[in-house]
Formats: sequence, C-alpha cells, structure tokens
Amino acid sequence: MLVGAHVWSQQPVTISFLLRAVEADQMQGLAEQFMAENPNIRIQMVRGPNAADAVENLYTTSFLLGDSPYDILFSDVVWIPKFAAAGWLLDLSDRVSEADLSDFLPADVAAGLYQGGLYRMPFRSDMGMLYYRTDLLEQVGLAPPETFDDLITAAETIQAQTDVDWGFTWQGLQYEGLVTNFVEIIAGYGGFWIDPTTLEVGLDQPAGVQAVEFMKGLIDRRISPPGVTNYIEEDSLRQFQNGNVAFLRNWPYAWAEANRPGTPVAGKIALKPMVHAAGEQPAACLGGWGFGISSTTPHPEEAWRVVEFFTSPGPLKDFITEFAYVPSRRALFTDPDVLATFPHYEQLLEVAETAVPRPPVGQYAQVSDILQRYLSAAISDQMTAEAAMRAAAGESRRVLGVEG
Amino acid sequence: MVSRDYIRRREQRTGWLLMLPALLVLLLVYAFPILRAFWLSFFTENLSTNLEPVFSGLDNYGLMVGDGRFWQSMRNTAVFTLFTLFFELGLGLIIALALDQAFRGRGLARTIAILPWALPTALIALAWRWIFNTEFGVWNDMLMRLHLIGNPVNWLGEPFWAMVAVIAADVWKTTSFVAILLLAGLQSISQDLYEAHALDGASPWQSFRQITLPLIAPQIVITMLFRFAQSFGIFDLIQVMTGGGPGGATETVSIYIYAAVMRYLDFGYGAALVTVTFLVLVAVVALSWLYISRLRAKTE
Repeated sequence: MLVGAHVWSQQPVTISFLLRAVEADQMQGLAEQFMAENPNIRIQMVRGPNAADAVENLYTTSFLLGDSPYDILFSDVVWIPKFAAAGWLLDLSDRVSEADLSDFLPADVAAGLYQGGLYRMPFRSDMGMLYYRTDLLEQVGLAPPETFDDLITAAETIQAQTDVDWGFTWQGLQYEGLVTNFVEIIAGYGGFWIDPTTLEVGLDQPAGVQAVEFMKGLIDRRISPPGVTNYIEEDSLRQFQNGNVAFLRNWPYAWAEANRPGTPVAGKIALKPMVHAAGEQPAACLGGWGFGISSTTPHPEEAWRVVEFFTSPGPLKDFITEFAYVPSRRALFTDPDVLATFPHYEQLLEVAETAVPRPPVGQYAQVSDILQRYLSAAISDQMTAEAAMRAAAGESRRVLGVEG
Repeated sequence: MVSRDYIRRREQRTGWLLMLPALLVLLLVYAFPILRAFWLSFFTENLSTNLEPVFSGLDNYGLMVGDGRFWQSMRNTAVFTLFTLFFELGLGLIIALALDQAFRGRGLARTIAILPWALPTALIALAWRWIFNTEFGVWNDMLMRLHLIGNPVNWLGEPFWAMVAVIAADVWKTTSFVAILLLAGLQSISQDLYEAHALDGASPWQSFRQITLPLIAPQIVITMLFRFAQSFGIFDLIQVMTGGGPGGATETVSIYIYAAVMRYLDFGYGAALVTVTFLVLVAVVALSWLYISRLRAKTE
C-alpha cells in the first residue's frame, strides 16, 4: 500500500471529465496549454455524444454508481441544482474570492448557487434576445420596440406595408427552448416561474397568464406563423435569414448565421434586449456551460486548478474569440481584442446584463417538463392560458412539495 | 433391500441440487429486482429527501392516480400494444400461410422474412426516423410524387401521425417474428387432416376455419403473450424515433419510467411505476395462461 502510494506520487495526477465530442475538439488547445504549464496534472477529456441530454445521462449514471470516474462535471447551466441537490458536487465558495466572482455576469454566478453553496464556475455564457431588421423598421419609420405592445405594432405595420410575410418567429415546440422563451416573457411582465428560496410558484399569477396570452396572441393575430408551435431555434432562424420575418428571438449564435455573406439579411440586422411590459424590465434567459467538481474525486485540489485555469480571463478570452462563444466574464465583452473580432458584443453586454437564470431547484427537469407540456397545450389551443397555468402551477407545487 | 422409493428420492435430491445454481441465478436476476422495486415503491426517495429513502406508505401510488402524464403514457402504451398486436398477428398469419406452401426458393424467402427481426432495433428506428423526415424523407417524397399529398407532412411532429409512424415501424420489424412462430405451428399440422376434410367436401376457407385456426390456437396465444410483453415494455424503438414526443403523444410507460428515474432521480415514484406496470403484465399473462389451459383441457 505504502509502496503504491509512493509510486503514485511520482505519477502525474489525471483529471478527467466528459463533454460533447465537438467541444472536446475545441477545448483541446486550452487543455494542452494547461498541461504544458502544469506537468504534474494531466487532463483527460472523455469525448461523449453530441446530444447534451445524452451527456447528462452519462454523468448521472456514473454519479449514481457512487464512485464517478469523472473528477469534473462540465455542465449545462440547468443541470447544476440537480447534481448539487443529489450531493454529487463540491461546494466551491471557499475557493473563489468575492472579487473574482464579481467579474462574472451576476446571472452566471446566481445560476451556480444552490442552498447557499456555489457549485459551478461559469465558462461560456448564453442568453436569449431580440433580433430585428433595421431596414424594415426604417422603411416604416418606427424605432426598435421596447415593450410587448411596441413589438406587436411594429410587426403588424411591417407585415401590412412591406412584402415580409411574418412579424416574429420564436421557439414554440414542446422542449426546453419553449421554456426559455417563456422565462423571458413572464419576467417581462414582472412575474416569476419559481422563487428558488421560498419555492413559491408564480405561474398562475396574473403575469404568468398574461405571458401565455401574449404568446397565443402572436399566433392568433398572425404575427407568428401557425407552425411556430413546432419551431426550434433553426426553424425560426431560417425564416429570419431568408428575409421572411421582421423579428426573431434567438441566442447569440444567430448573429453570425444571419450575417453570413450571401444571406439576404446580412448587414441589415441588429440585436437588443427582449421586449417587456411598460414599466417593467427586460429579461434574457440564461444558458451556457460551466464547471463543477465531483464530491468523490480523490484530487479536488488538482481539479480546482483545472477549473480555475479554464475560467480565468486569459484562456477564456482565447477560447471565445477563436470559437465565437459568449464569455461569462463581463470585462471580456468590452475587451478591445474581443470587440475587434465581434463589434456587436457591446450590444450583447446590454442583453447579458438583463440575464436571468432558470429557477435553480433540484427538481428542475421535472418542473420544466410540466411547464413545457402545459405551455405547448396552451399555444396550440388545446387549453386556455388560465387553465394551462393553473394546472402547471398545481403539478409544479406537488413536485416541489409545497402544496398550495 | 434398497427400495425403489429411496432411489427415486435420492435422484430427486440430486436433481434439485443440480438445479440449485440455476434457480439461485434466476432468483437473483428476476425475483430480487422486482421485489426490491416493490419494496422501494413504499418509500419516497428523490431529490427532496436527498436521495435517502423515507417511508411514505402508499403516497407514490396516490400521486400516480392524479398524474396526468402517467395516464397518458398508459393510454399510449395500450394503443401501441393493441394496434401492433392486431397488425402483426394478421399480417404474420398471412405471411406464415404463404411460407407454409411449397414453392421454389422457399428457404430463401423464409430467411429474408426473418431479417427485419434480426436487425438491431435502434438502427431500424434511426432508419425509420429518416424515412419519416419531413424535408428529406423518402416517405413524403413518394407520396408527393404520387400526388397523394400536396405538401410535406410532419409525420413525427403531429401527435396522431407520430403514433401511426411508430406503430408502422414496429409492425415492419416484428411481423416476421410472428410469422416464424406461427409457421412452426402450421408445420405441426398433419396434411392428412386437410385431405380427409377436402374429401368430405370442405372448401379451403372451411379447412382454414375448422382445422388450421383451432390447431394453431395455442401458438397464436403464445405469440400474443410474447408480443404483448414486448410491446408493453417498448422503449428503444420509440426513444430513438420520437423520444416520446411530440408533446408526450408517443410516450410509453417505459419511457416515462426512464425519465422519472434517470432525469428526475425520483426512485420511489419510478419504483411505483415499475410495480404497476409489472402487475398489469402479470395479470394479462395469467389470464392468457388460464385461457390456454382451458383450451388444452378441451382438446384433450
């Protein structure tokens, strides 16, 4: 045993984590840089399937077995509360200073908090926003919309006065994307889905019902195509790219896609924070990826060194500049080198400041599935907005154990 | 004198001893997980209890009664099972009757017939997902060339058509298996019976009704049992083709159990779902067994 320990201390420690194969390719450069600087630590990136939920299932299975082969969890922002609630992650709050945390987007930090502990270091961020056609707004003589009503007016005016078919496309299929759209709208009405501290459910309050009625109204008034209830990101983007629609709700990646040379709308688009009700604040649903550390890893110190490296300003800047991702550190949005490559990051920061996380509750997957079911039923006219939200709120309270 | 009884008892004991390892394995592999799931279903063990089991009596079963998703998945499973069983038995019987006739290349035809069954389900499901793809699928392409539809149909995106699609895929895959099972039954029927029946003036249809069907009834029931158990637990085909969507329209009980355990980490509730599914299966199998033994008693 002693001999074994002695031999091991001579060996470099291997820190391993699982991630989608495409991302492993992208992160290989950073990993090699780290290993060159830290010869006593090896990073082993296990290449997983390219579907994020398949990766989540693989992590879940390995953690359920009790002795995870992964020292680090590379995680979508919405997995964190579940993994933290299950006790699979280390609390990182002692390892990181307040000063360093304050450099990250507040929503990115908030998304890693679970019952007072910090379980995630943000890596790359993501957030929803409104894209619009500058040429069309100019043509009809309107300013970019601020409120929900502005958006409806602008869309209907453009649809009436130009040859653009549709006003606004978004993501209406029954899947996680629908929930991210809804989170922005309910917050824009001043409401909330679940309060993470009190576990109060706000879906059946007036703002929740208003949010669903707004989404339904877009389809009823033919501002959004009827097929929007089957749209994911690509479908809504394709309509916008082809010049068929005036407004689009999407993630930052859509900017480069819509501006690709040869695209009909290239150079004619701009982005801004999501619209909201008069007197309320805009909201952007937070997505993105970050790192947690397994509570069963035999090498927490080395794992932390790896996480610290990946999330530190230098490597993060190299990474987001090379692969056109959105940083989780606020300073990088206004960094001259970053702005030289991505001039629109200045507006993107405006959006990023409005970001809100999805409720960090352990049962997130369950409450999201419930919301998806009832939202889909409501926007496809199988239920009224009020009935759908009442049912969704009731089931969510049961799952969260707060009988209302 | 050593009695014959003694020898027999000794042989019996040796027999039991020899079977013991196999029985232990069976107990470990089958009985233990089922009993454990049954036991766990009386506990709440999920994220709200920090994954520790807390005794909660019949709470999980109470939740199930009010769980719309459970009933929807049960309904989907029943629809899927009924329709696949119906078509697979019907088509399987026709194919079996055809393969039972003497014709050139019969051996080859029988081999080809079993192919869909021999291919891995996940691969087949992937292929069907492409066939039913809205923009690039051959199925839409064929229908549009024949002018049967004007615009591409979103087969896997519409609740009704998605269910039709997964049923069609399962029928394609499993009919040959049903045909082979029924063919075995057909081949055990003596040709003399048909000759005698024909001499009595019976038409082929009468022979089929009065000889073929009654004599392969046990095979039909056993095939139904097999297929029922498999269809009721269907997971791979649907998981790959639709993932249970759109909007849970093709979500079966197995897929729901998987979500409850793997995604929600709700082990207690998952165990209750497993228990109920298991009991439904056992009830149906027991009823069929009763029916078979009655049938046997009648023929003997």
